[in-house]
Amino acid sequence: MERAKISAYQLLVLIFLFEIGTAILVPLAIEAKQDAWLAVLIGLVGGCCLFWIYHSLYSYYPDIPLTEYMQRILGSVLGKVLAFFYVLYFMYITARVLRDFGEMLIIAFYPETPLFAMNVLMVLVVVYTIRKGIEVIARTGELLFIIMMLIGISTIVLIIISGIIETSNLEPLLEKGLKPVIKTVFTQTLFFPFGEVIVFAMILPYLNQASKAMKAGLLGLGLSGLVIALIMAMNISVLGVNLISRSHFPFLSTIQTIEFAGFLQRLDIIFMLSTVIAGFFKISLYFYASLIGTANLFNIKNSAQLAYPLGLILLILSITIASNFSEHVYEGLQIVPLYVHLPFQVIIPGLLLIIAFFKNRKEQRKRNS
Amino acid sequence: MSRKSISLYLIIASISFLSGCWSQKELNELAIISATSIDKNEEGQYVKTIQLINPSNVAGGLQGGGGGQSPAVTVYSVTGDSVLEAHFNASSKISRKLYHAHANLIVFSEEVAQEDGIEDVLDAFERDPEIRPTARVVIAHNTKAGDLLKSLTAVDKIPAEKVNGTLEFTEQYRGTNLEVTLQDVIKTLTSEGKEPVISGFSIKGDIEQGKKMDNILKSEQDTTLETDGLAIFKEGKLIDWYQEDMAKGVIWILDKIKQTDVELDRDGKKNAIVYNVIRQKTEVSADTKHDMPTITINVRAEGDIREVRTSINLKDPKVILELEKELEEKIKKLLEDTVMRTQQNKTDIFGFGEEVHRSNPEKWKKLKSDWNDNYFSNLNVEVKVEAFVRRSGLRTNSYFSEMKDK
Amino acid sequence: MFSFLKWKKKKKNSDNQQEKSPIQSTDKLSNNIETSLTLNLEVIKQRTGNSTDFVIRPVNLGQHPKVKTTIVYIKGLVDNQTVNDFLIEAMITNPTLQEQITQQEVVDMIVKDVVAVGGIKKLSDWDELFTELMSGNTIIFIEGISVALSVSTQGGERRSIQESTTNVSIRGSKEAFTESIGTNIAMVRRIINTPDLWIESMKIGKMTKTDVSIMYINGIARNEIIEEVRKRLKKIDIDGVLESGFIEQLIEDQTNTTFPTIHHTDRPDGVAGNLLEGRIAIFVNGTPFVLIVPALFIDFFQSPEDYYERFDISSAIRLLRTIIFFISLIGPAVYIAATTFQQEMIPTKLAIIIANQRESVPFPAFIEALIMEITFEILREAGIRMPKAIGSTISIVGALVIGQAAIQAGIVSPVMVIVVSMTAIASFATPSYAVAISARLVRFIFMFSAATFGFYGMILVFIILVVHLSSLRSFGVPYMTPLAPFIREEAEDTIVRRPLWGYKKRPKMISGRNKVKQGENQKPNPPQPRTMTNSANEKGD
Repeated sequence: MERAKISAYQLLVLIFLFEIGTAILVPLAIEAKQDAWLAVLIGLVGGCCLFWIYHSLYSYYPDIPLTEYMQRILGSVLGKVLAFFYVLYFMYITARVLRDFGEMLIIAFYPETPLFAMNVLMVLVVVYTIRKGIEVIARTGELLFIIMMLIGISTIVLIIISGIIETSNLEPLLEKGLKPVIKTVFTQTLFFPFGEVIVFAMILPYLNQASKAMKAGLLGLGLSGLVIALIMAMNISVLGVNLISRSHFPFLSTIQTIEFAGFLQRLDIIFMLSTVIAGFFKISLYFYASLIGTANLFNIKNSAQLAYPLGLILLILSITIASNFSEHVYEGLQIVPLYVHLPFQVIIPGLLLIIAFFKNRKEQRKRNS
Repeated sequence: MSRKSISLYLIIASISFLSGCWSQKELNELAIISATSIDKNEEGQYVKTIQLINPSNVAGGLQGGGGGQSPAVTVYSVTGDSVLEAHFNASSKISRKLYHAHANLIVFSEEVAQEDGIEDVLDAFERDPEIRPTARVVIAHNTKAGDLLKSLTAVDKIPAEKVNGTLEFTEQYRGTNLEVTLQDVIKTLTSEGKEPVISGFSIKGDIEQGKKMDNILKSEQDTTLETDGLAIFKEGKLIDWYQEDMAKGVIWILDKIKQTDVELDRDGKKNAIVYNVIRQKTEVSADTKHDMPTITINVRAEGDIREVRTSINLKDPKVILELEKELEEKIKKLLEDTVMRTQQNKTDIFGFGEEVHRSNPEKWKKLKSDWNDNYFSNLNVEVKVEAFVRRSGLRTNSYFSEMKDK
Repeated sequence: MFSFLKWKKKKKNSDNQQEKSPIQSTDKLSNNIETSLTLNLEVIKQRTGNSTDFVIRPVNLGQHPKVKTTIVYIKGLVDNQTVNDFLIEAMITNPTLQEQITQQEVVDMIVKDVVAVGGIKKLSDWDELFTELMSGNTIIFIEGISVALSVSTQGGERRSIQESTTNVSIRGSKEAFTESIGTNIAMVRRIINTPDLWIESMKIGKMTKTDVSIMYINGIARNEIIEEVRKRLKKIDIDGVLESGFIEQLIEDQTNTTFPTIHHTDRPDGVAGNLLEGRIAIFVNGTPFVLIVPALFIDFFQSPEDYYERFDISSAIRLLRTIIFFISLIGPAVYIAATTFQQEMIPTKLAIIIANQRESVPFPAFIEALIMEITFEILREAGIRMPKAIGSTISIVGALVIGQAAIQAGIVSPVMVIVVSMTAIASFATPSYAVAISARLVRFIFMFSAATFGFYGMILVFIILVVHLSSLRSFGVPYMTPLAPFIREEAEDTIVRRPLWGYKKRPKMISGRNKVKQGENQKPNPPQPRTMTNSANEKGD
């Protein structure tokens, strides 16, 4: 653990930037057709419940991260093995997110550039940032949050005044009932993006006011959920469900549709700016979690030392996890949520909480008697 | 530490220099395309025509020499078995990298649209990140699509701009054409219960003459590009052309009319009163209670009287009310005629199906498989029009009234 | 009063320290002043290498008995009038002495009855004596007494108070600091008339022995920061301090950055405003530039005048400055990225114009931009270093040769010239030269990244820039405060500004225990119409 403290507001901002990271990039929850935004909002509620689990664990062990209290709860051996798996999990998802952004840049902007070049640059920036520690990440978050907000507001204004929104695309509401929506929630939106907030189980111990953790977390989640739902609703009303389900990056298509005053057109750069910034935070925070997890597991004092070797592993992993983009997307939507996210985000933390609850009650009784 | 950072900088520097030849392209090494078109030749190959901008002939400026001596655009035609092959074949004729991102016009020939359907060629356009989804699509009427790009134009030096400008202003002031973007076409093609309509364009005059610089040196051009009707599609294939009033009716039902004119007969004089629609709102709603859905079209039009060629007392509110009634009838007839002809064509260009879908998804599931051919053509369509005359320009009564009194 | 005592104590401490330093103790016989006058004068001549600007003038005090004294001072450093009228004349025309006068009484008499000058001080050791002498005081040696007197006669030719040339003001005080530390401190004291304005002094530089003072308002400045400033200043061991820049570079938190973490100004009102926010000013003798710590990034975009104008106008100007900063940072880079990577974002007509202009240009956009930028930097550097008369020639040559001829020759495109000139003007419009010059350096990094990876490269460099800025601290205060860490009340005084009545508190991270800046209800309200006691109004229409 480095000696650093972040404020509740910084936590909120980090959660927000982290959550919208890849969620604004992909056609999220499009299995729910025009009710995708609703699936996002219901997923948000589920995400808040998950955050409650992580927060409860945090309130039992307010000074140590997930990978360490795991060892206290389950004992040293089992806890260490599990912690190792968590580090692998964080690392794998970091690589996935990195791949997402590399692919996006190549498909939309730099068709002739190899993936390696795109990713290596991002990894260098992330490593540079990580070495500065969580306080600097948090402060960077605050600054870029302002910029993201400005971009977001101006984009929405531009979309509205260029008159491309057709709200009729959002109808009929709940065409096939709630079932497909709920199904989408439990196969996708609950885990991605909202369940991914488990990363903050590693970062919560840095918070300077433990009492504000719940409020900041829920506000951050809520704000990001609203923004994601808004963007999805906007995508649907501009492009229609058919077009979104066929596109890799619907938000890009939405922005490309903007035409205003004859010269504000092809604002692809806005898309690039907002997604790269948000993606940078997602990669950084996941990477930071795997970094402190590793340092914690192997008792390395100066975790910044690990940044370069882990960065190299991340880079190689991001290129080798899938041989083509379709495979990457298929894994991301079909396999990862159920077989990776579900156990790591829901089942294990849930079990940990139950054990921690009984353990703490026993200790309390001992103390009382 | 210092050795580490030096090696890091070296890595970054080498990556940067390596990338020099990846996605970089100087602006003056690009062939900026202003418009493309797709035709088909006798062998069944695609003919892609590209209109390139000659920057030095468009921009005047210091060194350019004012243009005027040579045409603003250069046109190349290439053939290929697929759209993309034709695109790559173009490189044997052009010294620069073809750059699509500024192409704002895509022209399909009538042939391609009638025989293969436009869905055959659209995928290549949609997939390419360079091509604008907002590029306008038109159909070349009575001419080859390639020829449409070859004609030079006078005021707008780039023909593509002239086509787009014309489309924009006819939509705005006349309401007989529609600006349709690439994305719109694809959206309506894939949509259940709506079929595309695309504006037509044609060449008036000699095609060969239009390619020459002489054509734009005259005050009256021998060869001009003009909007020409509205192409009606069914399942991606062009099946009918609507002209003038019929086209206006389509656009009215699509709620895209911004301004247009409506003429009334009076005292036995044809078109004696001209009403200018300034503002209108058209709403389509579906009633799905019965087996056969009923569609209601509600029109609310506001406008001014802008031309009077008869003696009529415009000061009298009763007369205005009377005029409004007549206008309502006239507009209603226009829309009903349009709907009837479209029902005969059995293609739902108005999106009535989408409306049914929205209001009753359950019912739509049963109807959608046979919508165009069976249900749409037998729909009950009710048109309700409200027209308001708000003003009459700078004058009240026309001088016709005074002349009559004399 | 208290501060004065402290100052004296500090001074003694620092002198004692220097006593121990080896350079002082070389070729020195004894550190104490001798009783013999001739011997003393011998020592002075020997120590100074018989320098010709030393004036050694024997004066006899009284007639019968007469006491031999000698006055020593340095030409140019003293105020000639004071020395002649109030010292030498007073001593020569002094009434006769008593017959039996002890040596001690002679000293007392000179102090009390003879010398008509304010500051006078007894000295007994040479180091102190030389420090006094070098700072422009006059020394009186008295035959037979091992004590010398130092009379405060500082003066000589100095630049008078003039208008600031680096921070020109439109509204507000026109006076700027001079090279004299005493004058400078007095100028600030004239603005802040409170005994809580405390000053500590020290001498830094083994050779130059430059006067350095730190000034702060007791209670408003934070003790931790004051202590940190003291600590860092004490640590300095350098032979000379020629400008406040020497101090700045030796006490800043991090040297590995192009961004300044210490502010400097030559306007007394600027210093006063900063002191009131709890900052600490460091005065250095010999320069009109006063250092201010801690300095935040946003401070470099503000000018004291922002608070003199009304808030709406100031807000608009501050927004403009933010835009200016971004233009000067990424102007050419955006041009490069847009014309070599993301051409689709340029409006079609503009793209055609640029393509046409670049048709004959033989270089890639990056090289073209680099040529123009470097040419501009050369012109700028030449313009600053040249005498003013030649400066205008340079601008003519620059405008004609670079602007006109380069375009006509087709070496660069007109658009490029527009972009570079815009950037150049923008970099001059940034209020702080220190930030403008670092933006200029970073601009080249942006240009390079734009040339290799287009906007993606630029965004990554921008992220690194933000991370770097967030990681900086100025005397322990995070550099990007109040934007990161975000402090809401203070963030309203960054790229926009609140009405003045809204500033209730001092900056949280900077100021000490006294946080309240102004009373409640400072918002001006017009009087109620009916309660107004204006007879003209009561009559009604």
